[in-house]
Amino acid sequence: MDLVLQLLFTGIGIGAVYALVALGFVLIFRATNVVNFAQGEFSMVAAYLMVVCAVDLELPYWLSFIIALAGMAVIGVIFNLGVYYPLRHRTYLPVIIATIGASILMANGVLALYGPQPQVLPGWFDTPGIQLGPVYLDSQYLLIIVVTIALVIFNYWFFEHTMIGKKLQATSQDKEMASLLGISVSTMIMVTFIYSAVLGGLAGLLVAPILFVSIQMGSTIALKAFAATIIGGFGDVTGAIIGGLALGIIETFGAAYISVPYKDGFAFLVLVLFLVFRPQGIFGERVAEKA
Amino acid sequence: MPLLEINDLNVRYGEIVALRGVSFNVEEGQVVTLLGANGAGKSTTLRAISGLAKPASGDILFDGKSIAGLGPEAIVRMGISHVPEGRRVFPGLTVKENIMLGGSNRKASKAELSGEADAMFDLFPDIRKFSGALGWTLSGGQLQMVAVARGLMAKPRLLLLDEPSLGLAPVIVQAVFRIITEIRLSTTVLLVEQNARMGLSVADQGYVLETGRIVLGGKPEDLWANEAIAAAYLGGHGKPAAGLAAH
Repeated sequence: MDLVLQLLFTGIGIGAVYALVALGFVLIFRATNVVNFAQGEFSMVAAYLMVVCAVDLELPYWLSFIIALAGMAVIGVIFNLGVYYPLRHRTYLPVIIATIGASILMANGVLALYGPQPQVLPGWFDTPGIQLGPVYLDSQYLLIIVVTIALVIFNYWFFEHTMIGKKLQATSQDKEMASLLGISVSTMIMVTFIYSAVLGGLAGLLVAPILFVSIQMGSTIALKAFAATIIGGFGDVTGAIIGGLALGIIETFGAAYISVPYKDGFAFLVLVLFLVFRPQGIFGERVAEKA
Repeated sequence: MPLLEINDLNVRYGEIVALRGVSFNVEEGQVVTLLGANGAGKSTTLRAISGLAKPASGDILFDGKSIAGLGPEAIVRMGISHVPEGRRVFPGLTVKENIMLGGSNRKASKAELSGEADAMFDLFPDIRKFSGALGWTLSGGQLQMVAVARGLMAKPRLLLLDEPSLGLAPVIVQAVFRIITEIRLSTTVLLVEQNARMGLSVADQGYVLETGRIVLGGKPEDLWANEAIAAAYLGGHGKPAAGLAAH
């Protein structure tokens, strides 16, 4: 039982990272009808920005964190203007290919600038963790969970209780109608890209102290997060979060009870099972939204 | 000076010519109805005015200023609100949220928009009880009410209404047209209708479009008097066909 609780904690922590990246996928998909294959690279680039600031330049951790997130906001703007905007009147295919191109550019850009050696980023706290009854709460996992909960609450408030959130939803549901009402569609899409880049970046910053900071970390996280969006029901915000958490828990338990080497395999096995037996995902039925 | 002046307007979709040399005026305070069969260019005319379709040539003057070629966001800020064909109510937002977003062309706070949306339910009492329901759960008539309410939230000087009666039961069509007679007290309306009887019943002026051209225009009683037109577009001469679509 103690092990179960311990695994649950770890699984939720890693699942929260998938959930944040998955949320970025879903928000961009809803706003532009395009899957952003560079979403994982946002996490990788942010982690490298953090390594540069906190390790190389020895800036305070909190300041490095803010600089890295601000850098991601800028990358979100550049990404929108360089990748999406010029192709916005085309079908989804050229845009998807452009996001793949951007992901290759980001990965190789970082490789050229920083070299192939994986980097180590220390965690935010000096204390490694606390013992709570039978469960050992690692401080970095705890941070991930707390930040993700705060973000899910913020996300809900932002989309459900602000006019800009409503305008973002309107834009994602019917761009032409939104423009007829005077909503600036290009501004809304810009906001979406900035928000998604920051979300992806935040996931990278949170998970970096657990993993190595490497060129490959982006694609690993993105594949899991993409699986999470399909499990949750593609295009559904709640589904992305639940799917991410579920995937984190499943792979943690799979690794503990079945096989460690096949840890990454469990996520994709679940994905395949969903694609075969419930392709619309957990929350898929609510896709009546796209009338 | 007319509120809206359309001069020799041509619109193409690729190779297809949708409008050829369309000219007409809408005077302030009037209701003008565009009639015609499917594909005659009625919706294209509205789309060109609201900025969804770019004119190939010709001019559109609103309040004396050219708006041809401007984007829809700029045009609605000038005071032209377009309620397009098919209602286009945002399916994943509530009725009240849909209506509030109608004021996006103006600088208004969330609280102001909320108050105005509540006041809008006085004009559309039938949808008040669906205030918190999501768009996709509504029936066609309710969606039409929401779409018109949302269009009015822009506080337009000119309201463009595209086929408000399409697909609605006769009794609902009557309700929608009762609302148009109330709207016309404060707003100029350019109405597109296939239901010629209903469309002309509220109009000061009517125009008949045929394959992208205006073939006839005049006061409703003059249009009725033209036998060929009455037979072709107005559902036969003298037959009471109120509430039924005329093809």
